[in-house]
Amino acid sequence: MTHAQLTALLPVILLAGTAVALLLVQAITRSHRVTAGVTLAGLAAALVAVTRALPQGATPVTALLTIDRFALLYTGLLALIGIGLTLLSFLYLAGRTRLTGAYYILFTLALAGGAVLASSAHFAAFFLGLEMISVSLFALAAYRRDDPAGIEAGMKYLVLAGVATAVLLFGAALLYARYGTMAFAALGTAIAPGAGDPLTLAGIALVVAGIGFKLTLAPFHLWAPDVYEGAPAPVTGFIATISKAAVFALLLRLFTQVHLREHPALFAIFATLAIASIFAGNLLGLRQMNLKRVLAYSSVANMGYLLIAFLAGGPAGAIAATFYLTAYLPALLGIFTLLTALSGRERDADAIADYAGLAWRRPVLAAAFTVLLLSLAGIPLTGGFIGKFYVALTGVSAALAGSPAFWALVGALVVGSVIGLYYYLRIVLAFFQRTPAGEEPAAITRRVPDAAAIVLTLSTLAVLWLGVLPGNTLTLISLLVEEWFR
Amino acid sequence: MFSITGLLTISGILFVAGAAALITRRNAVAALMGVELMLNAANLNFVAGWRYFWPERLDAHVAVLLVITVAAAEAAVGLAIILNLYRKFGTVDLEQIRLMRG
Repeated sequence: MTHAQLTALLPVILLAGTAVALLLVQAITRSHRVTAGVTLAGLAAALVAVTRALPQGATPVTALLTIDRFALLYTGLLALIGIGLTLLSFLYLAGRTRLTGAYYILFTLALAGGAVLASSAHFAAFFLGLEMISVSLFALAAYRRDDPAGIEAGMKYLVLAGVATAVLLFGAALLYARYGTMAFAALGTAIAPGAGDPLTLAGIALVVAGIGFKLTLAPFHLWAPDVYEGAPAPVTGFIATISKAAVFALLLRLFTQVHLREHPALFAIFATLAIASIFAGNLLGLRQMNLKRVLAYSSVANMGYLLIAFLAGGPAGAIAATFYLTAYLPALLGIFTLLTALSGRERDADAIADYAGLAWRRPVLAAAFTVLLLSLAGIPLTGGFIGKFYVALTGVSAALAGSPAFWALVGALVVGSVIGLYYYLRIVLAFFQRTPAGEEPAAITRRVPDAAAIVLTLSTLAVLWLGVLPGNTLTLISLLVEEWFR
Repeated sequence: MFSITGLLTISGILFVAGAAALITRRNAVAALMGVELMLNAANLNFVAGWRYFWPERLDAHVAVLLVITVAAAEAAVGLAIILNLYRKFGTVDLEQIRLMRG
């Protein structure tokens, strides 16, 4: 392995190494503080390694991984969100369970899996990364052995992730049988435009279905709300942010090499999935009384919006999708921070009713929560708006460039956003409910620990910063993503 | 000997059987076995592809070994969860374990 390859791979090595280090630490001390501290140090080191690796261009590391700036950008983003989630996990686990060691090991392994996904160039790496995330996550979802809902969530996630992997592998195996390769680049050149033989079509359709399961796109979203609801708050946060972002990064990577626009059937499948996700997510979210379930449906809809940018393709599409994710992740992180900080020992504060009267009792928290929710809804002055604007822009320019199908997609985006606004505002409305003194929900009276306050402040500021001054970030993202299209 | 179509048909049947087990069987262990069946259908595809189209390449062998290894890890964690499920609910019947519905 050359020096350049080692530098490029260092972030992934550090993440995986942190998991090993944590295993060894467990032999010396079981202290929760030390374990969480080592995790944080490992993630910070991985972030530094990302900045070190950025100056060198795309570096293939074996046939499995290509570490380019896009991969590093996503790895950095995942590590940043990971640091926030580690702090949340620390707050959540303290007092709830005494077995904390394995949690952080699984957590860092899942993060390493995300980094592998973001840089994979081969179906074997794709499979490995996906399984690293999935296996760790269903163990994490069922981590609290005293919590039946968590175990049920773990079981459901196990079946869901198992099916996703199996479907994906079956598709990859069909493509291998047809083309004799599992490398994305080689497949991209081998698959002829408009290839219509059954093996190719079935293979690609199954790969898409597998990815659809992981992104909880519309027909594959059935158990997602249950998993979101039952898993502990920080784990739900992980599923909603890191695992989604990593799989989406892979989707962008895979299908910039297998050119989507040249395969009308493929394009039609993705467009249908996008529209179905937007409507299913927004409509089913309307009647939910549980915040985690609302977020599950919101993520179904948001993945639908993201697919529009992905379908538009080219540099503009990749930039729009990446910016959208950059704005989407801190908003979710902030919401899960609040949820974790205000949760009681016996159950998570995940009912909308838990937040009744928040605006009167805790105006600052209510303001931050409102900003984060409005960002998910895509209201101006928040990062979510700019993200949605760019997604719509790429959709419209693709439509003007001669693909009228995009009008339908942009139409779905607009209608979906309007419906979605209703359920986000329903939560905000609950903040203003008058509750008689002494009868407030227990959640809104709890103290927010300092660490949670810091994560909340930073993520809210990030959302506002991306909404008011998106220029710098957009330039940075386009610099990093352009490497692909040169 | 089998033809490639025959092998792909068998793997397709295995895959569908696995999916059917997953959908219709209420026992959590049977659901896990359904997933294993689907994974092995994929393995059969890799081997069939190697045998008939790409006998000079070794990727399929490595892929199959990788899938078997990872599936074992998945089953290990899965069985641990099922064990906890049984401890907490006194049953592994997925129909009876429904705390959450929306």
